Formats: sequence, C-alpha cells, structure tokens
Amino acid sequence: MNKKHRMFIRMVMASLVRRRSRMIVALLAVVVGATILSGLEMIYYDVPRQMSAQFRSYGANVIFTPSGEGYIRPEDLEKGAAQFSSEELEGYTPYRYENTKIHNMPVTLAGIDFDSVLKTSPYWHISGSMPSLDGETLVGAKVAESLGIKEGDDITAVNTFEVTSETDTSDIPSYELYTDPESGETYCDHELDLHVSGILETGGSEEEYIYVSLKDAAALTISERGYDIVELSVAAMQDELSETVEKINGSSVGLSAKLVKRVTASESTVLTKLQSLVFIVTSVVLVLTMICVATTMTAVITERRKEIGLRKALGALNSSIIAEFMSEGLVLGGFGGVIGSVFGYYFAQFVSMNVFSSSITFRPLLIPITIAASVLVTGLACLIPIRSAVDVDPALVLKGE
Amino acid sequence: MFFRMVRGTFARQWKKMLMIAVTVALGASIATAMLNVMLGVGDKINEELKTYGSNVTVVPQSEAVISKLYNVENGDVQTEFISQDKLGELLTIFWANNITDFAPVNDTTVTLDSSEVKLVGTWFNHHMEFVKKGTTYQRDTGIINLRSWWDIEEGGWLDEQQSSGDEYAMVGSQLAKDKGISAGDTLRVKGENGEEELVVAGVFESGDDEDDCIYTTLSAEQRLTGTNDLIKKVEVSAITSPDDELAVKAARNPSLLSGDEYDLWYCTAYVSSICFQIQEAIPEASASAVRQIADSEGKILEKTQLLMTLITFLSLLGATLGISNLVTSGVMERSAELALLKAVGAKNGQITLLVLTEITITSIIGAAAGYFMGYAFAQIIGQTVFSSSIEMSGMVAFIVVVLVIAVTLVGSIPAVRMLLRLRPSEVLHGGH
Repeated sequence: MNKKHRMFIRMVMASLVRRRSRMIVALLAVVVGATILSGLEMIYYDVPRQMSAQFRSYGANVIFTPSGEGYIRPEDLEKGAAQFSSEELEGYTPYRYENTKIHNMPVTLAGIDFDSVLKTSPYWHISGSMPSLDGETLVGAKVAESLGIKEGDDITAVNTFEVTSETDTSDIPSYELYTDPESGETYCDHELDLHVSGILETGGSEEEYIYVSLKDAAALTISERGYDIVELSVAAMQDELSETVEKINGSSVGLSAKLVKRVTASESTVLTKLQSLVFIVTSVVLVLTMICVATTMTAVITERRKEIGLRKALGALNSSIIAEFMSEGLVLGGFGGVIGSVFGYYFAQFVSMNVFSSSITFRPLLIPITIAASVLVTGLACLIPIRSAVDVDPALVLKGE
Repeated sequence: MFFRMVRGTFARQWKKMLMIAVTVALGASIATAMLNVMLGVGDKINEELKTYGSNVTVVPQSEAVISKLYNVENGDVQTEFISQDKLGELLTIFWANNITDFAPVNDTTVTLDSSEVKLVGTWFNHHMEFVKKGTTYQRDTGIINLRSWWDIEEGGWLDEQQSSGDEYAMVGSQLAKDKGISAGDTLRVKGENGEEELVVAGVFESGDDEDDCIYTTLSAEQRLTGTNDLIKKVEVSAITSPDDELAVKAARNPSLLSGDEYDLWYCTAYVSSICFQIQEAIPEASASAVRQIADSEGKILEKTQLLMTLITFLSLLGATLGISNLVTSGVMERSAELALLKAVGAKNGQITLLVLTEITITSIIGAAAGYFMGYAFAQIIGQTVFSSSIEMSGMVAFIVVVLVIAVTLVGSIPAVRMLLRLRPSEVLHGGH
C-alpha cells in the first residue's frame, strides 16, 4: 500500500470520526432505510408460507378415494401420503363409514382417527371433549338433537349384517345370530356400547354422523377393512398440489387423489391477493424510504461545500474529491446496511412471532442484497450533490456566497 | 420584525426549507398510505374471502333431521319448508348490506335415462324485488358468486334473465362424462310430480360431489317436485367481523347478555348476530354459521390485520425517524445564523420561537402535500391489488398532521437548545 492510498484512507476515516454528529445523522438515516428494506423483504418472502399454514384452518384440501371398487388399504395410504413432503403435510385422517342403528334409528357411523382429525378439520367445535379412549364416541349435533343424546350419555350402536358361509363367526356370540324366517338368511346383530364424550358442531353435514375410533368401527362390524375416504391437509399452493395429485394418480398406488377445488381454488385466489398486497406495500414504502435516505445524504453533503471549495483551492483534482466523498458515502452505506440487516431481521422475527406465533425463516441471501442496496442508494444519493459541489468555483464558495 | 425574519428565511433559504418540506411530505405520504391501507384491508380481504362460498345456511326451524337420516332407506321425506316470499326479508335485516349473496338451494332426486341423479334448483343471476312497508328492496343475487371455484368446462353459466321459452340446466363434469352430455343437449328428467325438458347451458367441474349433480332453475325444480314457492335451504354469504369474547358469549345464549352488551353484539356484524337477525326476520327458519368458513375467515382476517398493523408501525417509525433526522440536521446547519442573532442581543426564547415557527410552517406545507401523495399511493395499492379504491378515513388526516408536528418539534427543540448553549463568539469565530 503506497503513501497516497494510506493518506486517502486516513482522510476518509478522519472525516467520519471527527464529524461525528453529522455522520451519526447520516448513518441513522441509512440504518432506518436498511432496516425497513430487510424487514419487509423477509416478511414478504415468508408471508406465503406462514399464511398458507393459516389457510389450513379451512381443513382438507386433498382427498384420497379408492381407485375403482373396494377400499383404500393402509399401506397404499402410507405410499400416497409419502408423495407430499413431510413439512407440507399437516396431517391426514382416514374415514370408514358404516350403517348402524342407535335407539332403533338408522345412523351413519364414521370410524376415524381422533388424534389426527383436528389437523384436517380444525373448525370442529366440540362441546364436551374429544374421545381419547376406545369405547368413546363423538356425536354430530343433528343426530344428538333428533335422538335426544346428551354429552355423558351411554348409547349402544347395533350393526346388522348378513352372515354367509364365508363369514368368520368365531368372534360372534351365538345369541346375536338370528335367521330371517322368510328368506332363510342368517343375520347378526352385533352391539357395541359407547360413551358419548362430546357433541360435534360444525354447521355442515358433519353433524349428521356419529364418530368412533377405527378400532371400535372394526369391532362393531367384526371386520378389518380399508378406508372409504382419506382427507389430507397440505400446506401448499394449488399448482404444486395438482402436480402431486397427478403424480399419485399416474403411479400404481391403489387409490385416486382429488383436489378439493372449493378450498384450493379459493385459497390461491386469496393468497395471491395477500402476497401482492405485501409486495406493493413493500415497494411503495421502500421507494419512499430510499428517497428519504437520499435527501438526508444530500443535506449532509451540501453542508460541506466550503470544504470542497478549500480542497479545490489547494489544488485537489475533481476526480479525487469525488472519489473521497464517495468512499465516505459507501462506507456509511455499508455500515448502515449491516446494522440495518440485523435490526430488520429482529423486526421480521418480532412480526412473525406476534402474528403467526412461529419464527421466521432466516434467508442468508437477503443480507448481501440489503447491504448492496443500501450502498447503492447511499452512493447515488451522494453522487448528485457532490458533482454539483465540485463544479462550483472555489473562490465563490470560500467567499461565502 | 418577527414575520419579516420568517419571510426572509423562506425567501433566502428556500432550498433548505424545500428539502425539509420534501422529506416531511415523503414521510407523511408513507404514513397516510399505510394507515389508510391498514384500516381498509379488513374489508378488502373479507370480500376476497367470499370466494369460499356461503358462511351461513338457513334451513326450516325444525327441519326433520330424521328425514335426512332415513334418507339412507326411505328417500326424501322432508316435510318442512321456508316460504319463498319470505326470502325478501333477508334484505330488511340490520346487516342487510353485509349480505353479499344468497340463493335458495333445493335438492331432490330425479330420474334421468332410468338412473337416479341428484338435481338442485337454485337462482343463478336472479333479480328479486321485495316490498315491505312501502319500501322496495331490490337485489341481483344467485349462485354464481357462491360457487366461484367452479370451472366451466363447456358452454357458460346459466343466464336466468334470458327470455327464450326453454328451461336451462348446468351439469356436473362427472355426470356429463358418464352420460356423454355436452352443452346444448336436451335432458329429459322425471321427478315426483312431472317431467321437464332441460337444455344444457354448461358443464362445470367443482371437485366435489356436485360433479354428479344437475343444477337448474328454482322454478323447474319446484315443478318437478310439486313444491311451489317452497324452499328447503338458503345459502347466505355475509361479510362478518371476527368472533371475540362477546361473540362467543352471545353464541351460547343472547338473552344472557346485559343490555349494553346486547346492543353492541346486535350492532356488530358477528356471524352469530347476523344469524340471529335472519331468524328474527324469518321466524320459521333457523340460521347457523358454517363453521368451516366462518372460523377460518375470522382467523385469516385477524392475521392479515395484525400483519398490516405491524408493517404500518415499522413504516411510521421509519418515516418519523427520517423526518426528525433531517429537521435536526437542518437546525444544526444554522448555527452561525443563530449565534449571530444571539450576538446582536436576541433572547433565547425569541430565537427558539423563530426557528420553531419556520420549521412548523415548512412541515405543515410538507404534510399537506404528503397527505395527497399518500392518498394517491393508497389508491395505487387498492387498484393494483384489489381493483377497487380504498376509502380514506378522516381520522388518518388528523393523525398524520399531529404526528408530523410532534415529530418536527421533537426533532428541532433539542437541536435548538444545544445551539443556544454554545457561546456566540466561538461559533462565529468558526471554532466548532
């Protein structure tokens, strides 16, 4: 490093240190600008992911149905569900439906997994509690109303099915079997005692069923079989979902997947609007903030016209004056950018924790972008006033005009 | 003398003053735009959320659940209905303007080519008029906006207001595929009470079990089933406020609320108060919230509003720091001038008053310009994102003016005080 360079660096640093109060004003402006830039950038990139998780409160957006006749086998369900990345897949609930009788009234009974059902139907309102043990049941509000069932009641579900020579009768107590005198066919009236742990309110057709665990459904019908339908909740946009759905339908997995259009189409409409809202807001705020930074820098430089005049009178070249002032500006921009990135990250984190109660994804790439943008804006903001300042005749400036 | 000096400053130092005014204007425009967007975003997002379809369903009071449960074996035995001329009452409730769309939905089973098919009679783009106590209520409403997720695969939406003699229908994609139906075909369907010929206006894909249905006009369905002027179910889409504690309390039993609470609940667009008002207007009906839609709407709305509030907060903070920063440096710059004033005998109070007057006038001019810029920015945001304008709130103008004046004073007073502590001789000598 030669003498000239060392002198240059000393002048830049000395100017920054000695003119402390002015430089703090300028630095503060750059830091505020960079904070807003990096904070909003992070929020903008994270909003789709965070909001998408919120939209899962609409419940299942993909369903699996058996391909052709029959049922979905558990191993096929595993394979199908594995096509979605485990981060995106919020949960899935298999359903098997059976016709049953309660108080001699026909009711449809659904065997489900109580642990995962709130993942795919978060809007379920339960008065009472979610069944946690075998032998407990959740009763839809409409069934409860028409059959006069209350929370805490004990009910008996009766399943009647035909017994043929192929049926394994070893588990069926003999008193449950009877023969229809007209047709000569044998039927079984298998009973299951259930304790009502809660009443389900949704305002939709879900209220017309009663729910038991898959194990109880198998016990009631004395048959282990697959599922009729599986609901999945996946935190992903419509395009990505339809790709995966086509992939599943194209593969040899024994089920067919469908998008719940009502949920996916509406979600992508609303999410696109939200994202463009944040985008437009971010750009408007950024442009205005950048202009604010620029006016502050302009004010700081304009103040130093006298100094520039003096330099010129002492014989400094225009180019070296520009280089020196610009480096000052760039150092400021760099510092401001670094400090602003840190503040911006904390701000974005604060927003994310408060709004979505989950931490923001740290994107390292945004830091160099923020620093580069703040250096660029500060540099541009300095360039214009410096150029007009060096054009001035030193005699006039020093005389005080 | 005082005013001459103020005028002098503006005449001679207009460049510096302009710079301050521009920064204040930029800051004020951020504040105006963001505050207006923040206040308006709830309504806008709420309208967007209407794409999820209806959030309230209205059914006859004691709609026999049994009929639905027996449906498994005995077919339709619905015995209770809402009378069709009562539907207009929906337009008279307190929150009628929040009801964006509603449509009666009558479903029945008909025979098409010797197989049983579900048929739904409804309004598509129905024009309704309702006269009550001499006032005429009018509304164009129907299922088109309640099924915004439908993909029309062939043909188009059924237009109820066209005047050819034919009855039209729309067919679900799965049914169309199974039966080889395409737009323009004529379907002959047989109901309990007669036969109808329906011309297929379009084929739609819905992605759920409606893909196996025929949708037709309400009158055609009523002729098929012989249920003239009777409605089985109404789907209502209403703009609602997210539920809070009061709404939860009211949902249990409105009569347990105290008088004030009741008034507040009744006059807030909670989904429960809208349901309550619908039941008041149509006593034989029971209105209930579709939890899947109502709950989720509330959640998303709340999150969006909170997000915008925090972004607004950051922008305001940035704007105020920017303004106070420039104001401070603007005052510091004038050290020589202020020292001279002091040297010729001006009192500290006079100097402070002079500087503050000048800077406040500049700020107010800047704030006024900024308010209108902010108005423009808010409209740009509204038009780009939601294709509708954002309403300007008078409160925002007030907040912005107060904020700008406060920030200006906070930014300049410490700087003036610091300058006044300096000794004039030192400043004028150039030793700072």
